[in-house]
Amino acid sequence: MPPTKLHQATVVLHQEAGRGYFRIVLKAPGLAKQARPGQFVMLRVSENQDPILARPFGIAAVKSKQYIELFYRVVGRGTALLATVERDAVLQVQGPLGNGFPAPEKGTTPLLVAGGSGFPPLLYFALSMRHPLYMFLGARDKECLPPLRAIKSCREQAEKVYIATDDGSAGTRGFVTDGLAAFLDSRNDRESFVIYACGPRSMMAAVSKLAAERGISCFVSMEERMACGLGVCMGCSVAVRTGGYKRVCKEGPVFKSSDIDWSEQVVLPALHRK
Amino acid sequence: MRSAELKKGIPAKASKCVTSPDLSVNVAGIKMKNPVMTASGTFGYGEEFKDIIDLNRLGGIIVKGVSARPIKGNPPPRIWETPAGMLNAIGLENPGVDVFINEKLPILRSYDTAVIVNIFGYSLEEYVAVTERLDGIPGIAGLEVNISCPNVKAGGIVFGTNVKAASELLTALRKATKLPLIAKLSPNVTDITEFARAAEGSGCDGLSLINTLLGMAIDVRCRKPRLANVTGGLSGPAIKPVAVRMVWQVARAVKLPIIGMGGIMTPEDALEFILAGATAIAVGTGNFINPRATLDIADGLASHLKREGIPSVRDLIGQVIVA
Ligand SMILES: Cc1cc2nc3c(=O)[nH]c(=O)nc-3n(C[C@H](O)[C@H](O)[C@H](O)COP(=O)(O)OP(=O)(O)OC[C@H]3O[C@@H](n4cnc5c(N)ncnc54)[C@H](O)[C@@H]3O)c2cc1C
Ligand SMILES: Cc1cc2nc3c(=O)[nH]c(=O)nc-3n(C[C@H](O)[C@H](O)[C@H](O)COP(=O)(O)O)c2cc1C
Ligand code: FES
Repeated sequence: MPPTKLHQATVVLHQEAGRGYFRIVLKAPGLAKQARPGQFVMLRVSENQDPILARPFGIAAVKSKQYIELFYRVVGRGTALLATVERDAVLQVQGPLGNGFPAPEKGTTPLLVAGGSGFPPLLYFALSMRHPLYMFLGARDKECLPPLRAIKSCREQAEKVYIATDDGSAGTRGFVTDGLAAFLDSRNDRESFVIYACGPRSMMAAVSKLAAERGISCFVSMEERMACGLGVCMGCSVAVRTGGYKRVCKEGPVFKSSDIDWSEQVVLPALHRK
Repeated sequence: MRSAELKKGIPAKASKCVTSPDLSVNVAGIKMKNPVMTASGTFGYGEEFKDIIDLNRLGGIIVKGVSARPIKGNPPPRIWETPAGMLNAIGLENPGVDVFINEKLPILRSYDTAVIVNIFGYSLEEYVAVTERLDGIPGIAGLEVNISCPNVKAGGIVFGTNVKAASELLTALRKATKLPLIAKLSPNVTDITEFARAAEGSGCDGLSLINTLLGMAIDVRCRKPRLANVTGGLSGPAIKPVAVRMVWQVARAVKLPIIGMGGIMTPEDALEFILAGATAIAVGTGNFINPRATLDIADGLASHLKREGIPSVRDLIGQVIVA
């Protein structure tokens, strides 16, 4: 049998990371060895039936081929319970799941765009590549930006990190897409850009539109509610432009933004962007 | 097996200890190495689980519902978590019977497990079409008919909630195939035994129960249903007592063997269904929570038999003691 996707992971570090985020490091060598940037895990946050389903989290880093690091915000019952998990606890985790980001081609300049708590998979992606890259981080206000240590890692990795908040409490005032548009329009080497975005659906729809208008290729990491994470329940589907649906956990979570049917109305409120 | 099923009272404990208990069962003419199967729609076509468990260890796999033509499914959100359960309104998305036969079945066939194909349609003709297409295809142990679909040609009445419609459907399908035919009953009825009798009268070889219970959840802040489809099917441990009760009622009403399902997660859950009258059991939502649940249950059943000194799992079928 191929390497298993079901693991028992030991919590080796679990701490508040600032700005309402928690950072959790899990020892799961089998998982860590297989992981690629853009993939995610399904983590069981409770041993009983409340809540019953595992929760999806993007992999934020792999350390020493043994550990995976996750960042999460408490947004509901599952993440509130997760926040109470202590060091040395053993959690059931499945992964790595999903397709991950396509590796950037030689000579391209990746632009990484993160909205709210969409930064973890992009952080892993940034840490994994040697391309000169630019990062754009956006949130409602300063307190919803990624924690400082994550921003520091981004700064070490990127040529430049652009920060925007809706209320102007950090970085420039406005949407992350405003900064991205200004950046794109100020440059004459646009052909080399490839955009990778992760965040609330509305933000990714705006990034997708921006990219399409300028003929820049763009990948988005989608979020949907999930039950199995394995591609069997068909619960996580998103509408695609060719008609029909694709599973976020299997064909995704990373899609070409031009493949997504952005007109499909989605009721899922992006509370975690808070 | 029949005699063991009918035998009343507690099976006599073996005088010497049972070292290799017999887990094999025969449901509707389908021989299985153990009574543990996977419920339709919760295990895909098996391939997604092959990196997690050894599929050869399963008694059987009941595949995701297959229809005569491809079905696109419902818009998202399609799922909502509930206390000890979940609501789903997937809309029976599937690639259609031809893709199933050409792309999915060859993979399934390579495993040593009984493959039962769950079928559905939105009219009697569609059910017949998919049944005829599957008849005679090698590697299929039997058909499970999901009768919880609306008949769009008859004003949307759900086959599985109208005894006459269910009988007509199952009688027509009986004529369309020689494969073992298992009717999957809907719990959204007042008296499930009427439907069990209708299936028996139509010539079915077995019964599966239960399908999901119709439910609904509302987001109180935006005052909208949680599912785009408004209503959905409730599954998981939350429905287990309802399912056990229905298996018990049906087992007393008909002679057909039963595949019991609804919230099974542990060996103990499986034993409850077997004692209530199920010959085999299927794990559905439990696969999402513990992807190894099926194998854990098979192992747990074996240890239970050993511990209790019971030679065969068949000795427990229908053996609940009701004063
Ligand atoms: C592929 C993927 C990767 C993710 N990566 C991260 C991550 O790295 N860090 C992080 O903090 N969060 C991430 N999320 C979101 C995370 O899964 C949810 O925040 C979490 O499941 C909420 O659980 P809960 O029980 O606390 O909230 P609930 O009580 O279930 O819901 C509270 C709020 O969270 C939203 N929510 C619930 N489930 C999801 C979901 N699957 N996707 C998006 N929003 C959801 C709800 O709409 C609601 O607004 C990711 C989601 C997906 C699908
Ligand atoms: C996501 C999901 C998809 C399902 N799809 C089907 C299906 O295609 N056909 C069918 O007959 N039953 C389907 N079911 C019902 C299950 O097979 C099973 O009868 C029910 O969920 C009760 O078992 P459980 O509580 O163990 O899940 C589905 C259930 C779930 C949760
Ligand atoms: S979460 Fe089940 S198919 Fe994606």
